[in-house]
Formats: sequence, structure tokens, C-alpha cells
Amino acid sequence: MAAANELITADAIEATEFMDLSRKYRVTGVPKTIVNETIEIMGGLPEQVFVRAALDLPDADVEAGV
Amino acid sequence: MGLLSAQDEATLKEHLSVITMPVQLVLFTQAFGGSESGDVAKQILNEIASLNDKVTVVEKSFVLDTEDKAKYKIDKAPAIVILSDGIDTRMRMYGAPTGYEFVGLVEAIIVAGTGKIDLDPETMKWIQAVDKPTHIQVFSTPT
Repeated sequence: MAAANELITADAIEATEFMDLSRKYRVTGVPKTIVNETIEIMGGLPEQVFVRAALDLPDADVEAGV
Repeated sequence: MGLLSAQDEATLKEHLSVITMPVQLVLFTQAFGGSESGDVAKQILNEIASLNDKVTVVEKSFVLDTEDKAKYKIDKAPAIVILSDGIDTRMRMYGAPTGYEFVGLVEAIIVAGTGKIDLDPETMKWIQAVDKPTHIQVFSTPT
């Protein structure tokens, strides 16, 4: 996503190495994604579902079957 | 002794063969007071770079290279910044890139080295429509 839009920064963080951050964001399972400190996404999701969640786009627009 | 087996190296070399642009892996580590993962990260990056001459490793000190730290907005180490022909891709990895993180690192290198993003065209439209700064942090573990 970062490579596709220069306004996006993407960090992959090793949770056990940065325990302070993991505590801050209540990482109790992985993968866990935090977007702009406000959106939390638990687990791995299909591409379109993940991107819509990360960008806070309405679920209603997701095509049927996703 | 390397971290990758001869077979893994051969597979990885094949994956990396699609790269057409130089990729710089800027590694920030902390020599004193830092964790061992900085050394592991360095070894992994050097092994990857040894498999493709378009991939290079640039070592930086988390303590001393304050200008670079500020430039790439690095606030923790070890950190890996991935550049595509010198341009920041805004993809970062924090911690040693082992296990699942290693797969992510290789994918990020391929994106940086080819300029090709393997996403659905519709997904790409949504991403390209983002008009405000967006910071994505993905937490994972090696296993």
C-alpha cells in the first residue's frame, strides 16, 4: 500500500522485540494492524476486506462474496 | 555459517532475479545497548544482497546517524528502510526479519526492485485515492 501511494507509510513490527509498543496497542495476537492510531484490524484478511478496513471505507461497497 | 540453506539461497536468488532497479536496504542498528537482533538483521540483509547485485545494504547507526534517522523518521532499532533506486518506498521493518517477516521483506524488495505491485486493480484504485497521511503498523511474530 505504501508503494502505491506516497501518503502511506507501512511499518512491519516484530511484536516480541518491541514489547512497549505491543502493550500500547494491546497486541494479544498476531497479525494485528493499527492504522493512524485509531483503526485496529485483527488477524489476516482477504486483500479487499483488509484494505477497506485499513482505509475506513464502508463495508457496504464490498462486492458480494468477499 | 549462513542463515539460509543452499536450497533456500537458490530459491531466493530465482525470486530476486525479476529485479530491474537498484534496491538499497538501509539498516539502523544500535551497537551498544541494542539487542542481538541487530546483528541477525545485518546477517540476513547481507545474505540477501549477496544473491543479487542490484540489492545493497547501507549500515547506519541508530545513535550517531541522527540526520538519516530524522530523514527516514526512525524511532526504534533495528530498523530497515527500503529504497527503490534511492527513493524511499515508505516501507519499514522493525526487528530482525526472520520467519514470516522474512517473506514480507523479500516481497517488499521485489516491489521496490520492479515497481510492480501485485494487488487487484480495484484495490489499487482505493489505495491511490487516499488523500491524507496514513500510517499503517502491522505487528507480527517470526512464527
